Amino acid sequence: MAKKAKTTVKKTPVKRTGSSKTRAKKTSVRKAGLIRRLFRLSMLLLGLVIGLGVPWVVWLDFQVRSEFDGRKWDLPSRVYSRPLSLYEGLAISRQSLLTELKVAGYRQSPDAGMPGSFSLQGNRFDIHRRAFTFDDGSEPATRFQLQLGNRSVTSLGGGIIAAEQGLVRLDPAEIASIYPLHDEDRTLVVLQEVPELLVTGLQAVEDRQFKHHHGVALRSIGRAMLANVKAGRTVQGGSTLTQQLVKNYFLSSDRTLIRKINEAIMAVLLERHYDKAQILEAYINEIFLGQQGKHSIHGFGRASEFYFAQPLTDLDTQQIALLIGMVRGASLYNPRRNPDRALLRRNTVLEIFGETGLLTDNEVEAAKSKPLGVTNKPPSGGSRYPAFVDMVRRQLRRDYHASDLSSEGLRIFTTLAPSEQEYAQQAVSGGLDELQQRGLPAELQAALVLVDVASGEVRALVGDRVAGRNYFNRALDARRQIGSVIKPLVYLLALEHVDDYNLITPVKDEPVSLRQPDGSAWSPANYDHKSHGEMPLLEALVHSYNQATVQVGLNIGVENLIRKVRQLGVNAPVPAVPSTLLGAVELTPIEVTQIYQSLAAGGYSVPLRSVTAVQTPQGELLNRYPLRLMPLEHREAVALINFAMTRVVEAGTARNLHALLGSDTLIAGKTGTTNERRDSWFVGYTRDRVAVSWVGRDDNKPARVTGSNAAMRIWASLFRQLPIFDIDLRMPDGANFVWVDMRQNALTDPSCAAAVQIPFIDGTEPELTTACLDKLERKNRKSLWRKWFEDDG
Amino acid sequence: MMVSLQAWIRFTGLSVLLLLVACSSQAPAPIEDREVTKRVRAPASKESAGVQVYSLQNPAVKQLAAQAEVAENTGDLDLATGYIERALRIQPQDPQLLQHMAELKLQKEDYQQALNFAVRSYDTGPRVGEICSRNWRTISVAREHLRDNSGANEAEARATRCMNTRPKGF
Repeated sequence: MAKKAKTTVKKTPVKRTGSSKTRAKKTSVRKAGLIRRLFRLSMLLLGLVIGLGVPWVVWLDFQVRSEFDGRKWDLPSRVYSRPLSLYEGLAISRQSLLTELKVAGYRQSPDAGMPGSFSLQGNRFDIHRRAFTFDDGSEPATRFQLQLGNRSVTSLGGGIIAAEQGLVRLDPAEIASIYPLHDEDRTLVVLQEVPELLVTGLQAVEDRQFKHHHGVALRSIGRAMLANVKAGRTVQGGSTLTQQLVKNYFLSSDRTLIRKINEAIMAVLLERHYDKAQILEAYINEIFLGQQGKHSIHGFGRASEFYFAQPLTDLDTQQIALLIGMVRGASLYNPRRNPDRALLRRNTVLEIFGETGLLTDNEVEAAKSKPLGVTNKPPSGGSRYPAFVDMVRRQLRRDYHASDLSSEGLRIFTTLAPSEQEYAQQAVSGGLDELQQRGLPAELQAALVLVDVASGEVRALVGDRVAGRNYFNRALDARRQIGSVIKPLVYLLALEHVDDYNLITPVKDEPVSLRQPDGSAWSPANYDHKSHGEMPLLEALVHSYNQATVQVGLNIGVENLIRKVRQLGVNAPVPAVPSTLLGAVELTPIEVTQIYQSLAAGGYSVPLRSVTAVQTPQGELLNRYPLRLMPLEHREAVALINFAMTRVVEAGTARNLHALLGSDTLIAGKTGTTNERRDSWFVGYTRDRVAVSWVGRDDNKPARVTGSNAAMRIWASLFRQLPIFDIDLRMPDGANFVWVDMRQNALTDPSCAAAVQIPFIDGTEPELTTACLDKLERKNRKSLWRKWFEDDG
Repeated sequence: MMVSLQAWIRFTGLSVLLLLVACSSQAPAPIEDREVTKRVRAPASKESAGVQVYSLQNPAVKQLAAQAEVAENTGDLDLATGYIERALRIQPQDPQLLQHMAELKLQKEDYQQALNFAVRSYDTGPRVGEICSRNWRTISVAREHLRDNSGANEAEARATRCMNTRPKGF
């Protein structure tokens, strides 16, 4: 057809048209000539239209279709936090529960009437949970009451459906929507989930003919032109929703007539290919509604989060009206910058809702009396927890086929605990500010990883001192020397050699000099530049003595240490040189956490994970990560090291921890400092949580930090906010607590002053027994009467 | 007699497996006919009359454990596993939950994990009474499937000692 059109153009004799301008004397001849000329001109125009227009339309059709198809299916995957399980006895503070509700988009209202809202009186929460499809099935919306006591749930009741009695899961917070294979965030919605008022209201305000027109509404254009002519400027646009959508696809400030014609043609084409519902859904997800720095806010779903910090489904009448009003000019009616103008516009929209019968007069008046209700600050960045979401992306790409991840709209269930994440970020941001005030360098950076001990599930991950920033995820990528944080592994290996070591075996802390592979001499010193002589192995670890550790380490072999690091799930390169014994090995915070998860769990290693399940939009599970246990060998030795690490906190390098925490809970910990105070590490665990914090400078310059002056403080300010419980020091099969006199390396009587209870692997207890003088003296002082009635034992 | 019984059980186990492979929608065996009942739960319960040591479970955990039991009886082992996982998130060191998981893994023929969960349950548990017996019987059955026959026999022997040994610390 295009070819044919071209020939027509060629055949059109342009010159001959000119030559017919010869003078004719007869009127009839003139008339005939005019008709002929008009005919030829119209043929020329027709030719032009067909010759140029048809290919042009074909081209526009191609453009608009590929744009629509390209975006229509681009539903991102939704990333959810872990659902919070609520039950009697759950340890949770009021602040944590409020944070969990807030991040999950729950609103406080006087009556908790709508799903997604709650009311609060004293410590009594009335929560209206939304319906939600979890990774193991759907739960309907339900309303229940919860009473908080002293940092725990004391009762749970109300209209909970039978299957959930005693245990209610909150629907999880949607923490991000991602394209697992790209790095871009959006919040798209499906039409069925969009509030009805948004769908009808949008048409009432922007395009009342939407259901009937074919992309362009001539009547609206006419009306708009008339209004514009009357006003002498552009006051009304006659664009249909379809035209506006097209305009958004090819966003340009250009307002030429050609452009408008193009948009109109494309709108008609779009309507030919897709139905109204598809077009409306695309519109709702595409329309421009604001700007955040470099990023545009597209679509009502994202705008709802951006302006109200709520999911679209939870919006009230007046909030919906505000967003619809902003379609006309997102910048002009920006409720944060121009609140007065935005309020006027919103109320105009509400009146239109009233005029078109969408709302009653009373409803209009009630909605008009409400404030704008936007949050003061927009949420930061695309996702609230970029470092954690980064880990989710990496684990998805590691564990799933690209073809699975490219499907639209996956639902990704993760392990993040929003309240713990908020505390962790505060601990890092606030902690570094405080260190700066105490005179430490302003360039300090930090990372913090918080993991559930038994499951290895990552509850919080912080990779930068600034919340929401993630150009360098230090928790996953900062590879730094770990210093003394390696020592517990050296002693763990020693204790596995049951013939050579137990916790009270005497070891020597004395100068040592070794030849390095490059020929240089290596003579490590202690932190206090003293040597402390012979002492029980336990004390060498508790006080983190370098020279004693090297002596023990050389005896067990650096290769064995490297093998141990591998067994504990870390594959990073570890140099086979003696300085490795003192932590001259570079690991990331997440790798250090992996190592200590195994110890904290009593020797049951679990790969750290941020994703628990991935589901298709239809609710079909693509994969679940089941809970698996991987027991290490020599778990008795692990139990002994856990005991030793509690002594580090009770009496060793981390003894300030209790004061920082304001609690005497039994905690295991270890500090780490590297040469010239470049890195500060702290590893610590309670019964339920293991966390690793690191502080240092990105340029690896001396930072004047030590394990206890920096990282431990951050660790403590996180754990001050969490419920903490004593770690379980019950020995596994094959180890037991025994009363000994450490200095004498001998068994002793519990009543002796020097007697302490130390765990031993069965068969490694000291053979010698010692009596104690103080006990003998006390016995002698006993009354004759008691001596008669007591036997000597 | 004992040997032939074991052989018979193994034979039936194999036939069940083959049937399952041949027809994956095949309904599971009734709970009383499963290996876990015959070789772990029933003997442990029979031996342990009078020696019961249970940890305290909170109501939420109890409820999830009950739901898991229902799912297990109807043969939906994945659902049952999901319930126990949720319960373990609440009480990760609960010996009964860990043992329940071990027995589910046994039924799913994931013998290594069955072994691991049973050992963990023993470590965190009372090390006496019915649960101790179930721990060691699970370990025994799992080792047998993993072709560690001497280990299986040793575990079987430990199971019988659960009733007469007073563990340290009690």
